[in-house]
Amino acid sequence: MASSSAPVVVTENLCKSYGDFPALSDLTIHVERGQILGFIGPNGAGKTTTIKILVGLSRPTSGTATIAGVNCSENAARIKHLVGYMPDRFGSYDNMRVREYLDFFGAVFSIPGAQRRKRIDEVLDVTNATYMQDKFVESLSHGMQQRVGIARTLLHDPEVLILDEPANGLDPSARIEMREILLRLASEGKTLIVTSHILPELSRICDSVAIVTGGRLQAFGKLDDVMRELCPVRSYEVQLVREDQLELAERILNNVLPDAKVTLSRPERMLRFPTADTEESLALLLSGLINGGVQVAQFREVVGDLEDAFLSVAADRPAVAS
Amino acid sequence: MMPWLSFSNPILRRELLDRLRSWKTMAAIFVVALVSCLLVLLRWPTDATVDVVSQGATLVFRPLAFALTLAVMMLVPAFPATSLVGERRKGTLALLLNSPLSAWQIYFGKLVSNVILALVLISVSLPAIGACFAMGGISLVDHVGPLLLVLLAMAIQYSAVGLWISVRATSTDASLRSTYVAILVLAVLSVGPLVLTGTLSGIQATLAQWLTAVSPVSALQQITSSQAAVADLGIRTGWFEFVIASGLITGILAIVTVRKLDPILLDRPRPTGRVTGPRSSLVRRLNYLVDPEKRKSIIPWWLNPIMVKEFRTRKFGRLHWLLRLIAVCAIVSLLLTVVAATGTISWGVERIAGPLVLMQISLMLLVGPSLGANIIAAEVESGGWQLLRVAPVSPLRILSGKLMSVVWTMLLVLLATLPGYLVMSYIQPALGGQVGNVVVSLLLAVAMVVSISACVSAFCKTTAVATATSYGILLSLFAGTLLIWLARGRPFGPVFVERALVFNPAALALSEMQSPGFEQYNLTPMGWWVSGGVSLVCLLILSVRTWRLTCPD
Repeated sequence: MASSSAPVVVTENLCKSYGDFPALSDLTIHVERGQILGFIGPNGAGKTTTIKILVGLSRPTSGTATIAGVNCSENAARIKHLVGYMPDRFGSYDNMRVREYLDFFGAVFSIPGAQRRKRIDEVLDVTNATYMQDKFVESLSHGMQQRVGIARTLLHDPEVLILDEPANGLDPSARIEMREILLRLASEGKTLIVTSHILPELSRICDSVAIVTGGRLQAFGKLDDVMRELCPVRSYEVQLVREDQLELAERILNNVLPDAKVTLSRPERMLRFPTADTEESLALLLSGLINGGVQVAQFREVVGDLEDAFLSVAADRPAVAS
Repeated sequence: MMPWLSFSNPILRRELLDRLRSWKTMAAIFVVALVSCLLVLLRWPTDATVDVVSQGATLVFRPLAFALTLAVMMLVPAFPATSLVGERRKGTLALLLNSPLSAWQIYFGKLVSNVILALVLISVSLPAIGACFAMGGISLVDHVGPLLLVLLAMAIQYSAVGLWISVRATSTDASLRSTYVAILVLAVLSVGPLVLTGTLSGIQATLAQWLTAVSPVSALQQITSSQAAVADLGIRTGWFEFVIASGLITGILAIVTVRKLDPILLDRPRPTGRVTGPRSSLVRRLNYLVDPEKRKSIIPWWLNPIMVKEFRTRKFGRLHWLLRLIAVCAIVSLLLTVVAATGTISWGVERIAGPLVLMQISLMLLVGPSLGANIIAAEVESGGWQLLRVAPVSPLRILSGKLMSVVWTMLLVLLATLPGYLVMSYIQPALGGQVGNVVVSLLLAVAMVVSISACVSAFCKTTAVATATSYGILLSLFAGTLLIWLARGRPFGPVFVERALVFNPAALALSEMQSPGFEQYNLTPMGWWVSGGVSLVCLLILSVRTWRLTCPD
């Protein structure tokens, strides 16, 4: 992905209250150019509130939010050009074809005529939606509408795309297609903030994640770092070439990592163990196995699921707002 | 009791509970009770005597009867008109059609619940009707009984009309609009052929007479002892014919609606989105002039995109439909010119101008609220407002685009009906000034209709509520003030009637044309200032509200 180190989206101590209800408390995140941030949280966690502040639809009670250095609440007019926002509701109009729909939003963004025509072709192409340009928007399937929604957000060529639940309600093939579109946009230098409840889907596209519950940021950072932080005990698998070496391997493993609980699977010639030990200890284990004459076919970490990380946060830290 | 009519019908119970829990139902009942009580209190005798031959009770009973009729016409159809289409859009109609409930049970559950609520609405006026009866001069057999029968027949018929349209409509606001149009046609325009064409003979006369039986106007005139006025118009039908006609219409509509209540109703294909190539066939080009299936060119820079969008998203706002609308308006205009010319010569300007003004106002009241009430509420309901908020477009541009899309359509309708006045002023050149004043009054009526309905739209979250509220306010303003005029002399004095009429641009136009009953009122220019002022205040509120809606939360 075409990411650079310059943060494009920055929020600092962002707070938003509705009366006494704290919808958002001290949210500090930053997203670099060309990155995809997965914004995760249960319903009512403050995701949409944050997004609304970022796109200028809501004013923070305190704290700041900037996009490309422009304050979101003080310069809403500039923000509208910098951000492409796709809300969770499509915003359909009756009796309008897709091309007319995009033409309308292009005109609203004051894109000159000839340029607008060209741009509509481009965004339809990027979102693989050219074939549906003459269909009526209200008659499109949900997956088609989501693609038209992304095409609409791209019309004015914004630097940042903020997509609220883009994969919601999509079938597996539409989800894969959506994933490819988002990855393509990131590779073209767009910065994306994506919320989703489909966490395995997010983990496949995100560079970084922010997990919020009850209006508070619970975890934020690179996907691997967050996983490591939230799930310190990771699972490993060691597959051997010969089944008769399983006991020998188990003895070596117990010597190097005495706390690890090892399980054996003879048909697979496999040892499995969870551990919170450092990578140095794991390197020591691998060299111990090889030096001990064990023929190792594979030594790998079982990649943890973002869902596990999210559940550990959601379970450990009850919502502040509730 | 038949199962579909019994109270164990789950649809009937759910609908009744749903409606009775709503504050809107309570508000409607309260308003009807308040108005009927006020009408009686204003006329209640202070000398504590009962007069069995007095006209006093009749003078109160007449506006009360018309007020109740208006209330039934305005309030009763709103719910059935949105009922079935609303269920279909929410997806609950599919659940009902897949349940063991029969189509008749679904239908009667909805119809009967609405009629029961209409009965509640009518029953709150019973004390007022009883007071009229106590004053003397009103009979149970000739007045009270027939009035209640007519109101009940209206409630059943208009509920059936609402459900019939609702089962066919694709959106709640379109259904609401069509229902009010249908009721206006049934209640008012059905008298038109007989009144406008004068004395007919043979089969045409019989048909025109039967057509008047569809309208409650003749029934009410008979009940309120205004038979002289009825005879003057050539109407010979009464309340009995109305009840029979109502029953027939209800029966036919019930059968047609129940036949439609089938799972196949939900089995509609998606539009294919076909477009014709650059070389469409000659037949298509001649047929449409502007081919609806031809790909549209992009919105030019000199047009407000919001206005273009508003036209394009209306079914009848597309260019090929607008051309058809212009053609229909031209034909209507020609017909009106002929009617105005012949009517002016044979009946005099005063007689023909009244129906012309009322027809124009009726058209405005039909078209205006349905368009105006859509402008903000529909956007909020569809989720499009959120998208406009994040687009670099000012509230002023949004508002002007939306308002212009309504104003242009209204002006088109108004322009089509104007040549009739030109004919009148040609026949009687002295009328030139009056015709000018009528046009000003009609333009102000357009301003009022658009600004009030648009203002209502800015405060509603759904188009159905906005449309129903707009119709309610505007009908109260236009028809309510005419009710006060109807009760002129007693209980309302001439000053009070004149003050009420200045709020009604239709009355301004009627008084300018010296229509019967409006000769003594001098409503302009005060009425113009009032109409203009109301429109300006509404536009101001609308502007502030639109600006607020675009601001960050």
